[in-house]
Amino acid sequence: MKAARRPSDLAARSERLCHIEPGDMVPLPPPYEDFNRVTLPLLKPERVKGIETSLDDTVAIGIPRPASREEEDLLVRKFLSGLKKLFEKKNNWTFLQPLLLSMEHCARCQTCADACPVYEMSGRQEIYRPIFRSEVLRRIYRKYVKPGGRIAAKWNGDIDLNWTTVARLAELSYRCTLCRRCASVCPIGVDNGLITHEIRKLFSQEMGIAPKELHEKGTVQHLRVGSSTGMNPLAAKDNVEFIQEEMEEIAGFKVEIPWDREGADILLIHNAGEMLAWPENVGAFAILFQAAGLSWTLSSEAVGYDAVNYGLWYDDVQFSRVAVKHADIARRLNVRKIVMGECGHAHKALTVTADRLLTGDLNVPRESAMVTLADIVSSGRLSLNPRRNPFPVTLHDPCNMVRSMGIVEPQRRILRAVAPRFREMTPHGVDNYCCGGGSGFAIMSGYNFADWRNLVSSRRKFLQILDAFADEPPEAPKYVCAPCSNCKGAIRDMIGYYHGEERSGLYYGGLVELIVNAMSDMKKPIIQFDGKSSWES
Amino acid sequence: MGYYVLSYVCMAMFVLASVRLVYRQWTLPLHVRWEIYPVRHETTARVAYGGSYMEEINWWSRKRESSLVNELKYMVPEILFLRGLWKANRGLWLASFPFHFGLYLMIATFGGLTLHAALSLWGAPVSAGGGLLRSLLDGFVVAAGWLGLVLGSLGGLALMTKRLLDREWRDYSSPADFFNLGFVLAFFLSALAAALVVDPWFTGAKGFVCGLLAGGDAPPRTALGALTIVLGSLLVAWIPLTHMSHMFMKYFLYHQVKWDEAPNRRGGRIEAAVRKNLDLKPTWQAAHVRADGCTSWKDIASSTPGETK
Ligand code: SF4
Ligand code: SF4
Repeated sequence: MKAARRPSDLAARSERLCHIEPGDMVPLPPPYEDFNRVTLPLLKPERVKGIETSLDDTVAIGIPRPASREEEDLLVRKFLSGLKKLFEKKNNWTFLQPLLLSMEHCARCQTCADACPVYEMSGRQEIYRPIFRSEVLRRIYRKYVKPGGRIAAKWNGDIDLNWTTVARLAELSYRCTLCRRCASVCPIGVDNGLITHEIRKLFSQEMGIAPKELHEKGTVQHLRVGSSTGMNPLAAKDNVEFIQEEMEEIAGFKVEIPWDREGADILLIHNAGEMLAWPENVGAFAILFQAAGLSWTLSSEAVGYDAVNYGLWYDDVQFSRVAVKHADIARRLNVRKIVMGECGHAHKALTVTADRLLTGDLNVPRESAMVTLADIVSSGRLSLNPRRNPFPVTLHDPCNMVRSMGIVEPQRRILRAVAPRFREMTPHGVDNYCCGGGSGFAIMSGYNFADWRNLVSSRRKFLQILDAFADEPPEAPKYVCAPCSNCKGAIRDMIGYYHGEERSGLYYGGLVELIVNAMSDMKKPIIQFDGKSSWES
Repeated sequence: MGYYVLSYVCMAMFVLASVRLVYRQWTLPLHVRWEIYPVRHETTARVAYGGSYMEEINWWSRKRESSLVNELKYMVPEILFLRGLWKANRGLWLASFPFHFGLYLMIATFGGLTLHAALSLWGAPVSAGGGLLRSLLDGFVVAAGWLGLVLGSLGGLALMTKRLLDREWRDYSSPADFFNLGFVLAFFLSALAAALVVDPWFTGAKGFVCGLLAGGDAPPRTALGALTIVLGSLLVAWIPLTHMSHMFMKYFLYHQVKWDEAPNRRGGRIEAAVRKNLDLKPTWQAAHVRADGCTSWKDIASSTPGETK
């Protein structure tokens, strides 16, 4: 097995380009030293038969290996035709300017490398270096797309283009969480996360290659069935009815969750995953909006009850379809604004990225729930007793909400009001580290990808969480507040993987739960630690 | 005369290539938003932690505040002193700052020489009463010139050493990267040698720039002077053809991507540009896209996906 050193190594055929040995990764502190001897479980040969596995120890997409040389050549030609389209106005107006600028001005100064949690935590595996994949794309583009490129290739940096290069590049585009921490430190402004995004797009939009969790089970299912969870409108309504009953138990009063109320001020859109995995989050929103006297509604129309937009991570066409659907539902309901529930990528997708897609009356104002909630809390409309949250709390900043949107302070204003033992992670805010589940990783678990996520991409966040609670006794319950469903999923998985609940008393949840937990008029706590009331912890 | 012609041609090439680069940026379609916070023209309160106008309740109904002063407070130290690099990569800053500052001082020296030449040629009345101005200018040219040459040479040597010896750098450097850095370094070293050996007071340089303005034909008097003129001229033409154009293209990376958070208002300029983009007709081939080259983005975005396989 030959370790990759240079971008050109991507083209050299070998069984595996990168392998992480036990002990390569950044070590974990006690009581987690046993994980320092752990590495990725081997891919089971029978499961990866006929699948491209030559990049590293895991598989995100599972691209079928071409059956013949002719098929390989055809796929390489398709890749090249897609690559050309990335640089055409009609095909890529969405990102043409940022892509060109990032492709042409990297000084290869390596400042970005130290900012990347995946690269750092993996033990600085060369293929995970932020500019490794950018440099591969740059070289292919210069050599095979630009006029005279083959003649100048030795001069500009050479690379061979074959099926191995293409297949590995596709997989490699799913070893970066698009957290854009690298871009925020680049002195020139080059964005390696963006280049990764464009590589994913090329594969999806030209070759139909994308992880099934994002495409078939993601955006396609979202648009056809109504939600990427597979829940149709009827199932969503059933679930919410159940949530409503649960909330009445906790609140001790009637909780209303309105559907399809035309002319309401607010259309609230949740990540539908909350309805299934964290129903208390959906319920807590209802309790708060009701207590604050807001005029609001959910939509039961397909797509309208699921805020996710996985297209943001891999496909502009699917992204546009979902965003237009969300906006159109709000337009027809004639609401004053859309409020995005606790889902970071959904925030960025509809509020920021789709801002230059929605025109006329589709351009319905969009607001972050962090802002709406901070307004409710600071308005004095709730009777709050922060002593009901006596446990230590830290806050995870979702990259899409913070670095990509500048929504930083509202959630902190809330925590300062409801969680007296709140402490920051280091670093935090716009300098935060990704949970490791960014850009779709939280929902991708085929083959052994979940192990890769827990061991490599989530490792930095796990260390940060341990560090934030370092001054607390291990047995005391601690709350990691993550106001984003995908981050919550990644944090749930990392706590489970490392036995964080048993060894460090780690629990996690959203922000609204903390607010409701501090409301004086609640009959029962909405937050429980291992089945026990959080009010007495 | 040949030296002057070379300099004129190279300067013209610089202008043409730079205008082409900038023109290309201005004519690209408006892209979707992809900003990164902190956005430096935010208000003082928000820029301190990287907040945005979207932190305000009903932000669209409020007047959007922005601050040019905050932007300048960031940009000036960034451009002059590479502040971002100082914070994120101090080791590299020690080499990169002198290199870049040396280049800036070269530009400043050329500016001083040009002003000096203009005064000498057309400013007789000014200079007659302007002995002090003339002395200041002379002093500036010599100080900026020497400092720039020393810093640029040291920084260039340090960067070249890093590129050659540090594996992380070497493995990502192409022959073109070595050539580009070597080119700038060769200019610095030859100009430093010329200053040391033959022109410590920049008298020869003044004469040459005077000739440039007056269309003169006096050739450089020394081989080192001639080499510096040739290398300097070619470098000026070469920079916009390489990634070194980041010196000025950084403007677009920052202002048109990283800090471009202008919201789309109904009936506004951004909306008009978006409508134009939505009329474009893509040709992506994957089945789910359903592009045929005749259907617009607008229609595709309002449709359901085609077969996925
Ligand atoms: S992306 Fe930026 S920080 Fe990274 S190597 Fe290129 S110029 Fe340097
Ligand atoms: S976007 Fe994040 S994960 Fe991807 S290369 Fe940059 S820092 Fe690393």
